[in-house]
Amino acid sequence: MPVRVLEEWFAGCGGCEVAILDMGEVLLDVLPELEFVYIPVLADSKFFGQDGNGKEMDYPHADVALISGSVRTKENWEAAKQIRARSKVLIALGSCAAFGGISALANLSTNREIYDAYYGASNNNDQAEIPELTTEEMLNKVYALNEVVEVDLILPGCSPTPASIAKAITALLKGEEFKLSEKSVCDTCPLERKSKWGLETKRPLASAQFTPGDYNKTRCLAEQGILCLGPVTRAGCAERLDGEAEVPGCIRAFMPCRGCWGPVHTYTTPMSNMLGALASIGADTSSIPDKKALFNRYIGAHGNLNNCGKG
Amino acid sequence: MSPELESLSKSCQPFIPTIIAFCCNWCSYGAADLAGVNRTKYPTNLRIVRVMCSGMVHADMVINSLLKGADGVMVLGCHMGDCHYINGNEKAARRAEVIQEMLPDYGLEAQRFRIEWISAAEGGKFAQTAQEMTDLITKLGPNPFKKKGEEPDAC
Ligand code: SF4
Ligand code: SF4
Ligand code: SF4
Repeated sequence: MPVRVLEEWFAGCGGCEVAILDMGEVLLDVLPELEFVYIPVLADSKFFGQDGNGKEMDYPHADVALISGSVRTKENWEAAKQIRARSKVLIALGSCAAFGGISALANLSTNREIYDAYYGASNNNDQAEIPELTTEEMLNKVYALNEVVEVDLILPGCSPTPASIAKAITALLKGEEFKLSEKSVCDTCPLERKSKWGLETKRPLASAQFTPGDYNKTRCLAEQGILCLGPVTRAGCAERLDGEAEVPGCIRAFMPCRGCWGPVHTYTTPMSNMLGALASIGADTSSIPDKKALFNRYIGAHGNLNNCGKG
Repeated sequence: MSPELESLSKSCQPFIPTIIAFCCNWCSYGAADLAGVNRTKYPTNLRIVRVMCSGMVHADMVINSLLKGADGVMVLGCHMGDCHYINGNEKAARRAEVIQEMLPDYGLEAQRFRIEWISAAEGGKFAQTAQEMTDLITKLGPNPFKKKGEEPDAC
């Protein structure tokens, strides 16, 4: 009997779904064993309105449910509860579902501020009226999936690599255990390391000096003074589908890691991890701009980002 | 919040703060010992964690304690120049700065963290620091992270 798979997207961008499709031939290999019972990215389905005749939310029962995107609206919240109740294994797909992701940057503002900004409080325009009923009811902040329901497995990354999705799915089908790496991005990074970090930080987007195509001859970006989140980010983005270890995603383009795979261990926070380490080697951390958003760019749920004091 | 902290915080009515104190083996833990031997009175809500050096208390441990619901955290080490490992307390001091800088980012008051140098001979100072911290945190009120996990309200 094929494994019944449900896939749903909440407040995300759809990149995670593209990562599933990016599995390519591996997806073709496992496809006969999978039956997609609900997957809006491939097949539209509606509970009510247009062609849906139902009266209420009614997700099909499934063996494996994948949810991408963060929990932002009341509907997301209830859908998460129902999907959890109706599926055996629930996977948080991507950093939005796992830690809040990019959408959780909204936790820096109040909902009012978001509406105001969105409906045109700019210098040149008059404030447009905020519609009352056209939008779904938003929750007070953005939640990660595991703040709402119990999650069996997280597949972090923005987006997760097709390799990690493939590994997780094949492990599930075979009934094997799937574990995320407990190393950091630095452990998978081939750049040349010679000394301590550059103690002066350059602008985050300053370009690095590099030898095109030759990773072993390029100096570690952090040693060049470009803040790289490699040391405090979980390894995994270097993995390719063919199993060969490659270069971590951003390092491949000689850009510093920005932490999309989230913290190495769930009990650490990258900000305290990194600033603590920098402070102990005597680096001047005051020159790092906007630390709060910089270190929590992909992990804004779980209380990491807040709009303190704004109500 | 860990079950231990939860039961602690629940059993404490009215609010008695839970304060974690990381004490270094060579000086401040000695001071805590001395305070005990001298029968100096100090608040019982202190949870002492003995570490080898204040320099090994990573910022992560402090932040993690607070995120898990501790109301205050102290790092207590040897006086400058007295570190058993030469410069561990200098590292701790530098970290203390970034910790205090970070706390408002988590929505916490910077005063919830304190660093203090207490030698093994200063049992009185240990008791006094504990008392001061307890008074301060009692005034600040419980850690807001204690209330986690409620149903969200739509706004
Ligand atoms: S984790 Fe990244 S790719 Fe996936 S939905 Fe969120 S923003 Fe998009
Ligand atoms: S470039 Fe970044 S990921 Fe690579 S070793 Fe340096 S700090 Fe680590
Ligand atoms: S290098 Fe960092 S930011 Fe870039 S893909 Fe990997 S984990 Fe994500």
